[in-house]
Amino acid sequence: MTYPLLSIQQVEKHFGNVSAVSGVTLDVQENEFFALLGASGSGKTTLLRMLAGFEALTAGDILLEGTSIAQLPPNRRPVNLMFQSYALFPHMNVAKNIAYGLEMDKLPKQEINAEVEKILDVVQLTQLAKRKPEQLSGGQRQRVALARALIKRPKVLLLDEPLGALDKKLRSDMQLELKRLQHEFGITFIMVTHDQEEALVMADRIAIMQDGGLLQVGTPNDIYERPQTRFAADFIGVMNFLPVTLSGDTLQAANGITITSTQTIDLPNGSAAVAAIRPERLHVDTQLDNNLAGDVVNIAYHGLDLLLHIKTTLSDKPIISRMTADVAERHCPTIGQQINLGWSAKDTRIFPA
Amino acid sequence: MKTDRRPLVLISPALLWLFGLMVVPCLLILVVAFFRRGVYGGIEYTWTLENIALVFDPLYFGIFMKSAAIAGLAAGIACVLGYAAAYAIASMPRRHQPMLLFFAVLPFWSNYLVRSYAWIVLLNREGLIANLARWIGFDGELPKMLYTEPAVVIGLIYNYLPFVILSCYAPLSRLNPEIAEASRDLGASAWTTFRRITLPRTVVGIATGFVFVFVLSIGNFVTPALLGGGQFQMIGNLVYAQFLTANDWPFGAALSMVLIIIMLGLLLLQAVITERASGGKAYTDG
Repeated sequence: MTYPLLSIQQVEKHFGNVSAVSGVTLDVQENEFFALLGASGSGKTTLLRMLAGFEALTAGDILLEGTSIAQLPPNRRPVNLMFQSYALFPHMNVAKNIAYGLEMDKLPKQEINAEVEKILDVVQLTQLAKRKPEQLSGGQRQRVALARALIKRPKVLLLDEPLGALDKKLRSDMQLELKRLQHEFGITFIMVTHDQEEALVMADRIAIMQDGGLLQVGTPNDIYERPQTRFAADFIGVMNFLPVTLSGDTLQAANGITITSTQTIDLPNGSAAVAAIRPERLHVDTQLDNNLAGDVVNIAYHGLDLLLHIKTTLSDKPIISRMTADVAERHCPTIGQQINLGWSAKDTRIFPA
Repeated sequence: MKTDRRPLVLISPALLWLFGLMVVPCLLILVVAFFRRGVYGGIEYTWTLENIALVFDPLYFGIFMKSAAIAGLAAGIACVLGYAAAYAIASMPRRHQPMLLFFAVLPFWSNYLVRSYAWIVLLNREGLIANLARWIGFDGELPKMLYTEPAVVIGLIYNYLPFVILSCYAPLSRLNPEIAEASRDLGASAWTTFRRITLPRTVVGIATGFVFVFVLSIGNFVTPALLGGGQFQMIGNLVYAQFLTANDWPFGAALSMVLIIIMLGLLLLQAVITERASGGKAYTDG
């Protein structure tokens, strides 16, 4: 029988009366880049700290290759954590910080030195080996923290908001760099993040957490295109919500406009619901299954694309439609202009109101 | 351009106070130490090095060494106890820490003499400890407790322990707990983590506490007088006696000078250690 690399089973964590994590069951496969995505207070960091061994489980079990590690202290788990604050040892230089984990494994000195040199090269810090953490930039500290955890070759590397402290440009570079290192080392990564874009770009699979529980687990494509709840639809990316009433096979929006969807929902006739459409599925001046007119009230220029805010009679909030740069060049939208939007029935998702 | 005189105005009273009541008397003592003692006490204004030489006479130098040993023992034990207490306080929930620190320094709010007398009540042959021992059924001969060297050491530790708790608490409370966690995560046991991470990051507090207790203890004359019962002298008692009973001001001044130099040397050493440990600049963990 083969086991998943890491199996989280019915894990619970209570702090007094407060439940931080409840009923989380999750398998993570070997070589996966897994993201725990949630807002602050969703329990994602608590779950990560339970995997590392810093929080005891209130109930449930954690199995690594079929063996429970729930009772092991952090120093006896073949799992390493990269802290959000990096938690570098301030009184040790870069090389000493990185060597620390291998010294704890009682490896011979030459072997440690060789390993440290190798990994310094991988993370491009060879020149800075003798520097103290306080003499490093944020990005350099981040790479020291990564090297210090990776050198132990853990079965699972846990990363707590690994890119949180970096500026935007550096962050997108490091997103790809982390993915490359994960491939190179062949180690399973579990990353905690509140940044949905980061999760979509980096992870093989994503678990959305809310109020201590798992809301949805799936590939980035699953999560983005087929959100299971209104919360997930709203949390990931940008989504337009239109209030509707169920009427037979169609959705009745305000002003007698009918919206069609290929998705069905198990609610009685006449119930309130919301139709959800992604901005990039709304096409300007294109006749499709659903059509709608509105006035442009705002244009947000992003370089790569434009986001048009369009006021319609269907919702209080303007509808957001994405226009790629080349389409925008043809259309030259202006504020106040009336615009027609069309979208396919397959792109309408329905959620209970 | 007009320079801002406000800092100067604000610091002047303190500087004058320090200069008039600290620097000037110390300089006077320094000068007196090089004069001869008058035949009927008082000072004879002829230069001599005799007083300084007398300090290093085996009799008096022995008292110096003994005082240093007692002060060192008191400081050492106070550091162990104080560090442990500070560690415990720093690992409590943040909201309880101010209250616990308040209790730790509570003895400071009562008079030093009263606190020392309390120990007489405790250690007395008919005191609380003796009575307690008898009450639980011990009927043998109790060792003499009051007016012994250990009694002096206990008194010094008791009086100065809050200093050590405060000086150790400062770096312990600033420690980023994630640094110790990182050490555990990388495979270190709790003990190794303490030895290699927590202790090096907080040794400054211990050094400060040690020097404080040592400096305050070596020159102390109240505690040895009350709890040592005049059985033996510490250097503070010797200085006291020279000025007030033997009427040998120059020798008292010479003893004081040597004591002050030792203290200043230690404080300097402590400042250097602190400077080293903090890497020469303010830096917070993480």
